[in-house]
Amino acid sequence: MKPWRYPARWALFKMDDRLLLMFIGAIVGTCSGIAALALNHSLHFLLEALSHWRQHWWAFVLPAAGAALSSLFLEKIVKEGAGHGVPEVIYSVSRYGGLIRLRSAFSRLISSCLTIGSGGSAGPEAPVVMSGSAIGSNIARFFSLNDRQRVTLVGCGAAGAISSIFNAPISGIVFTIEVILGEWTALNIIPIAIAAVAGTEISRALQGDQIVFSPQVFDIGMGDIFASIGLAVFTAIASIALTHGLRSMHQISGKVKAPLWIRAGIGGSCVGIIGLFLPVVLGEGYHFVHTMIEGNFTPGLAFVAVACMAKILATSLTLGWGGSGGIFAPCLVIGSLTGLTYHRMLSAIWPSVNWVNEGCYALLGMAGLISGMLQAPLTGIFLIVEITGGYAVILPLIIVSAISATLCHYIEPSSFYLKELVDRGHLLRPGTDARVLSDLSIKELLETDCVCVNQNMPIREFIKIVENSRRNYFPVEDDATGEFVGMLHLDDIRPYLFNRMLYDAVLVGQIMNPNVETVLPDDDLTEILHKMDSQRLFSIPVVVNNRFVGMISKATLLDKYRKELMVQTTS
Amino acid sequence: MIPRILHIFQNTPLGRESLLQAAYFSKQLEASLIVYIPQHIKFLMYFDNDVVQIDLDPSYLYSPDTAKDHAAEIIKEAGVEPLFLEPKHFTASSLPDIPADFDYMVCPRSISDLSAKIGFGYVGAKVRNIFNAARFPVLIPSYVYKPWKNIVVFYGGSANASNALKLGFQIRKETRFPLNLFTYAEKAPGDYRKEIINMGLEDDLNRQVDNWRIFESGNLVDNLYHVPHDALVILGAFAHGLLRNIMFGSKLEKIQAALANNLLVVGPKYSAPI
Repeated sequence: MKPWRYPARWALFKMDDRLLLMFIGAIVGTCSGIAALALNHSLHFLLEALSHWRQHWWAFVLPAAGAALSSLFLEKIVKEGAGHGVPEVIYSVSRYGGLIRLRSAFSRLISSCLTIGSGGSAGPEAPVVMSGSAIGSNIARFFSLNDRQRVTLVGCGAAGAISSIFNAPISGIVFTIEVILGEWTALNIIPIAIAAVAGTEISRALQGDQIVFSPQVFDIGMGDIFASIGLAVFTAIASIALTHGLRSMHQISGKVKAPLWIRAGIGGSCVGIIGLFLPVVLGEGYHFVHTMIEGNFTPGLAFVAVACMAKILATSLTLGWGGSGGIFAPCLVIGSLTGLTYHRMLSAIWPSVNWVNEGCYALLGMAGLISGMLQAPLTGIFLIVEITGGYAVILPLIIVSAISATLCHYIEPSSFYLKELVDRGHLLRPGTDARVLSDLSIKELLETDCVCVNQNMPIREFIKIVENSRRNYFPVEDDATGEFVGMLHLDDIRPYLFNRMLYDAVLVGQIMNPNVETVLPDDDLTEILHKMDSQRLFSIPVVVNNRFVGMISKATLLDKYRKELMVQTTS
Repeated sequence: MIPRILHIFQNTPLGRESLLQAAYFSKQLEASLIVYIPQHIKFLMYFDNDVVQIDLDPSYLYSPDTAKDHAAEIIKEAGVEPLFLEPKHFTASSLPDIPADFDYMVCPRSISDLSAKIGFGYVGAKVRNIFNAARFPVLIPSYVYKPWKNIVVFYGGSANASNALKLGFQIRKETRFPLNLFTYAEKAPGDYRKEIINMGLEDDLNRQVDNWRIFESGNLVDNLYHVPHDALVILGAFAHGLLRNIMFGSKLEKIQAALANNLLVVGPKYSAPI
């Protein structure tokens, strides 16, 4: 045994495993920060390398080639599915204690670099979250940490990656807690905070302490505060449009009988064609966001509105048809375009009102889109504050984020990241019924001290068995084959108990219940509990291959449930 | 609880042989055989501290319309009740999660490479990952269905070999087939006996082992000729570190490269019930 592979057993960390998590969290934050920077630099390199080709009419093939290569890489080389990977991270945290494949630590970095670098409309943030989380998970696996510790390190990876790519540690922490883990405990918050600091420091050390978008001074009046309510409605509409666009494009592409990489290429070429007329839709689009925040985006209202819709379409085409990347950056672009559109509409309707600079509305729009899409208002607020360095806009930011998230929640109860998981019943947030039950297995609950009786047994013999048993239910088996044929409850023999004449005349097989509801050892405990509730059963037999293997009782189930809940909530 | 065996069905003649072997194994152990008929080219198995993605050889997806009927027919013929596994959870829409809480798994030497390429002496990377991560022993069936009538345990003194020995005792109790112990001596023969006694298995050793062959001379591969052709061979996997296994080879590698028997491989995460 190699002691260095088991740091949880070191004397220092045995006292308090939070120290261990803080120590390894810093390592994970650093590694995921480096991964995020690697993607960022690769993207810039690719975008610059291809920039002089974008002037040609045939440049529309660039996003097509990038998306096709990205899909081929994911499908044939690393053998992973398309998409950004955040639902996969949330799923692994929900159900498998944060176990994530090692290949995920690099796969999405490469595939998203190909998609976005060639001009596909997507963002690098979700892929770096996937990568950081996979780094955290595999470091935890290497050091043989337990599920709870592994989940925290997955969170550290996500926080380190977001903090590094945006140079925004608070956003990294808030995003991880609000979106990835879904819980805020004393145990996980400190390692995650340390990982966020490590990721940010790596970013600052390697590319300088730069704020993503240059800080601006905005003079916000009361009119703007009220107007932000209307902007929240606009951003909610844009969020819903993007969510539906992504989903419908995915469904449409699924109907096309062609290999995945061809489909991704088709989506990419459509984006390329749109990009020939509206370059704002291409790539991550941070340059245009920059211009909009500074108030230097000159095209008029109609163009901005069309560009906003085109960006929604381009993002849906890129990601829905098989390209790789996330929705963070497109949300920022669509949000700022929505903000600009709204500002110009207000200026056109009430030209005499002294509205704040349109760059402020671009910021608010970004927060509204992020909050609406992720249904994570805190992430939207802190991200925009940190990446623009502007606390002055905090009040309208809160209004736009809160209202946008609420409106989106009414229309789409689950966020973009969670929708698929919720639909499949795979989202098991900590402390919920489903999560507690998912950690219990039928094997743990199985009561095997039941006495089986034969169907040809006379009641006289059965009464003797009852005298020595503490159970009310007795499984009945076939004498010859040993197969399970029914159940006998104590109540079933009550009519015969006081008539000794019948003791030898009536057989167990005659009074048993042959139509018993049974379950398999692989059945879901939630379904079993539902079955017991709906049919008012207190226990249910487990039968495999027509053989009785034990009973599941509601009393044992609830007892174990309580113990598991205590373990989960006190850890 | 009735032991449960997982089998990934390949709807090909080679897959038929494997399934026949799995059904025979299941019948001998009075275990339930749970068959997964792949609908997707890959699946995930989440173990305690590892997740293994199995990228299947494309022949696993041949003729999906007939797969279930073929499998059911083969299993019923063997006198076992067919049970089919339908994945309930998916990591991604085309990536099902297959449970990892079985008591045994039946797995060919390679599950990802084309069957036509597989030969002796090759164990695929994914199968090795399963050995290393699984809490259950893995049965590598012979290429052609062959009922085994006795049990051979390779005991070399490692922790995995000890678990293999305990598993051998358990299978001997359940099947009543003769149990033979094979040891390729790298130390004094008496030391092996002492180790088993120290594990508290003296009683089982005396009562259940029919024959213990300790080879003090000759190389391991030459001595494998003495393994009966109809034996189920139980052995531990990778007792040493990865580097040493790569540099010098492991016993498992040498044995599986030379023996055509059914092999039951016990990995480091397996803990025997006795």
